[in-house]
Amino acid sequence: MPTQAFSEIARVDARDKVLGRAQYGADVKKPGMLYAMLVPATIAKGKVSALDVAPAMETPGVVQVLGIGDFPALRAEISYRGQPTALVVAETVEAAIEGAEAVTAVYETAPYIPLMTSPGAQRVDAEGFNAGDVDRAFQNAATIVEGIFETPTQHHNAMELFGTVAEWTDGRLTVYEGCQNLDAVKAALMKAFELSLDQIAVKSEQVGGGFGQKSPPKMQTFLVAHAARLIRRPVKLVTPRGQLFHIANYRPRSVHTIRLAASAEGRLQAIIYDVVQENIPDGGFRSTGYHEDIARLYAIENFRATAGDIHIDRQMPRHTRGTHPFPAGFALESVIDEMAYKLGKDPVELRLEHEAKNDIIAGQPLSPHFLNDCLREGASRFGWSRRLPEPGSMRLADGTLVGLGVACGIFGASMSASEATLRVRADGTTRMISSGHEMGQGILTAIANVIIQGLDINPDRLEVLLGDTTLGPQLATVGERGTASCVPTAAKAVEALRARFAELAGANPPAGNLHQQLARLKRPYIEVKVSELAPGQDASAIEAYRTGGRAGTGPDYPGFTSMSYIAQFVEIHIDATTRRIRMPRAVSIADVGRVVSPRTAKSQMYGGVVWGFSTALREESEVDPRFAGYLNDDLADYVMAVNADIGEVDVGLIDKPDPRINSVGVKGMGELVMLGTAPAIANAIYHATGKRLRKLPIRINDVL
Amino acid sequence: MRALSYTVAPSAEAAVARFAAAQGSARYIAGGTNLYDLMKLGIEHPAHLIDVSRIDGMDAIETDGDILRFGGRALMTDVAYTPVVRDQYPVLSESLLKAASQQLRNMATVGGNLLQRTRCMYFRNGAGSTSMVGVYPCNKREPGSGCSAIGGLDRTHAVLGTSEACTAVAPGDWPVALMAMDATIEMLGPEGPRNLPIAEFYRLPGDTPHREFNLHPGELVTAITVRKTPAGRASTYHKIRDRESYAFALASAAVALEMDGATVRTARIALGGVATTPWRSRAAEAIVTGSPLTPELALRAGRAAFADARGGQHNAFKIELGARVIADALIIAAERRA
Repeated sequence: MPTQAFSEIARVDARDKVLGRAQYGADVKKPGMLYAMLVPATIAKGKVSALDVAPAMETPGVVQVLGIGDFPALRAEISYRGQPTALVVAETVEAAIEGAEAVTAVYETAPYIPLMTSPGAQRVDAEGFNAGDVDRAFQNAATIVEGIFETPTQHHNAMELFGTVAEWTDGRLTVYEGCQNLDAVKAALMKAFELSLDQIAVKSEQVGGGFGQKSPPKMQTFLVAHAARLIRRPVKLVTPRGQLFHIANYRPRSVHTIRLAASAEGRLQAIIYDVVQENIPDGGFRSTGYHEDIARLYAIENFRATAGDIHIDRQMPRHTRGTHPFPAGFALESVIDEMAYKLGKDPVELRLEHEAKNDIIAGQPLSPHFLNDCLREGASRFGWSRRLPEPGSMRLADGTLVGLGVACGIFGASMSASEATLRVRADGTTRMISSGHEMGQGILTAIANVIIQGLDINPDRLEVLLGDTTLGPQLATVGERGTASCVPTAAKAVEALRARFAELAGANPPAGNLHQQLARLKRPYIEVKVSELAPGQDASAIEAYRTGGRAGTGPDYPGFTSMSYIAQFVEIHIDATTRRIRMPRAVSIADVGRVVSPRTAKSQMYGGVVWGFSTALREESEVDPRFAGYLNDDLADYVMAVNADIGEVDVGLIDKPDPRINSVGVKGMGELVMLGTAPAIANAIYHATGKRLRKLPIRINDVL
Repeated sequence: MRALSYTVAPSAEAAVARFAAAQGSARYIAGGTNLYDLMKLGIEHPAHLIDVSRIDGMDAIETDGDILRFGGRALMTDVAYTPVVRDQYPVLSESLLKAASQQLRNMATVGGNLLQRTRCMYFRNGAGSTSMVGVYPCNKREPGSGCSAIGGLDRTHAVLGTSEACTAVAPGDWPVALMAMDATIEMLGPEGPRNLPIAEFYRLPGDTPHREFNLHPGELVTAITVRKTPAGRASTYHKIRDRESYAFALASAAVALEMDGATVRTARIALGGVATTPWRSRAAEAIVTGSPLTPELALRAGRAAFADARGGQHNAFKIELGARVIADALIIAAERRA
């Protein structure tokens, strides 16, 4: 277990990004390339009885139109508004748009259920969970707090749209697109087009934000690949944001009913928790996942969870940054705050007193963690001690209401098996072939830092490669496990290379850095290839990793469970007259184990606070039930936080290794960092106004 | 590709002549910050674009005489930062600086801004199916097709000046400030030049919501004038929105006062974000005129402005919010008196 902290290096791809040299899927240009545009269905449910593509074919510049029947994904049965009915391919993007708009459809409409509150919407129960004796705990409770909490439908809205370029060369398909799971895309394309391993390459060198939306294979990838094969020219499709709102996945609306019991001594005893979310039948985002992480946050031994889906006629909801712990944590951290008031306790103190040692889900110990350090450090930096507990008791001279709020977040520290190949050359260069996707989170920088700090090499001539199926297997960069999986493998590669070099150089190695020593030993390079497993995995995990199987595991490992933690402190100001809500200050402190790349880790935390603020006070995808479309489907009307919204944000990392999870002690943080801010804001608004708001987003009309 | 002609007009007269020759299929364009957007949304389909952004002298900002005169193609940024405007007419400067983003203000003109079209999502998301997945009926876009906002997601819609045909809110900030300052719009058309008080420039939707401006076919806004007044100094444009920048007003107020000590001698109050046109409130003005300004009186004035307001499904909060915005704006303006 290395105990040494990593020093900070600059983001390795910063310069390329600033200069516009970083290549994203939609940046790819190929000779003879054509442009495509999808044609969306304009009904919510029913059937296309006739599709007239002739006017599109007559549009100057249009080369090909794929319609219903031309490809399996283009179906006559419509199950959501915006479902693609055709793909128009043209010489220019303008002609493709014009052609797409010329396609007309005749529909047979069917009744549909657009919202979970629509007439006829029905709940389908999922499996529940129980730990301890909840009923007895509630019977013996001295204090009970309960509430119904709601979080809205939200879209990821990464800066990068869905951009796909497909090219066939001698029966070999190459696809360029931003994605988070290249191997899944590769496997799906191989199946759809009956390709062998050497006939397929998928490249995603840089991803302009994933956040879960780019995890599953996209329908457009197949359509574009099919069109490119038919026409025998490369084809590009960049789907406009208005369409993405309707066809890409999103965070489902969810409603959480939670009851929290405390004993006369002020100990938190039990939780009864029910959640229901909007979903489609067999949707990929399970309602049974909501309770799992929050049940591990505090030492509350008795926990009963029930869950269900309400089926709606929209596209499939899926994972969105923060996934289940975001909505569930909003509910839990709000009732914890309310309980603190009822018990007459400081909300920080109440949390400190309930530090969890056990995972009641898996029934085993939690790996040592530092949530309480986060709370203490955050309280100190924030100046929590100046808070007057009474709601509405703090004001500025001009009458502005002041609220100070705290909340925590928790996310499972999962891992994946992975491999890496590290080569140091005598010519002064070093190349690392790793695995995964650079989505802006800084995975390249973290891997580079492990190598730079472990080996005496030229840091500016180090190349870290990933995001390309021709390099080898590419692990799914989801559930904040990318860096946490690649870093231990990189550390193992460094150790292996040092050992190999020691073997080679003997007892009296020559002088100089590794490159110079290799030159003196007359070796052009040395290379090591290593694989690393998550705790409890065996060789079958590497086999799964190599063949596109399930190589990931956790956060419950044999004998222990590992989680990442965060504490958020916010100051909220509310104008005395107009009730405008602002956040002048936030402090965010996280325990993500050992911090490998301090700069990109802090950057993640800033972004997480902004995202948390935005989910709390800004974002909601608005569906007009009369049409079942997303009405605010652009960045002007889907209101996300802007720079002027964000006050001073102070972030900190505990930077103590998790002793059990892996050799470096690193845990994930990409999902975690957006957690806690929303309930901290709602708690601060309560502190400022005495009004408990249980539905997000909170807007000015809620506090007038 | 849809064929489109684009010409740069050397003078206002030439622009008007070209527009007349195009027989209704032309649009004037300057910054293009709204027109290009509407073209991409499939709402506007001009066959001819006549660029007026290089007309000699039409960007002049004159502040020497008894009036402030802003050329129709003067940029929002340039007017906002003109020293006399910034120092003596904060209501004008603030209305420009609280609109859009710096990039847009560097392109958009103060004349074009008068004609900005509504942000009603049913209006914008109804025409094209590729950039948006819409097809929402809208009387403004397609007369007679119906209004989807009534009975729909109307949180951002108007509570004043609405009709059975349309509740779309007027989007601008600058026109609201001009409404408070009794600006005059100078136009040039096929029939020659014409001046119109801004109060007569905008039309209520009534049963013809597609007709938004009292602008004759082919008329070009050549300038905007504001008579100089000491009320300019004790003025503000107060804007409340869903985020701190890059958003349209949920409710805004342009207020300019002449004070005798703590007593209001004259008041000009106009509202944005709450009405179907930039909205002058004489009722609110009457409440504060001749009285010492207190927070209670300011709020009473605010409430008076909304006496005839009518909320829809989700926007009734604007009636209370709008009253409070006026109240805050009155206090801010009064604090700026010399």
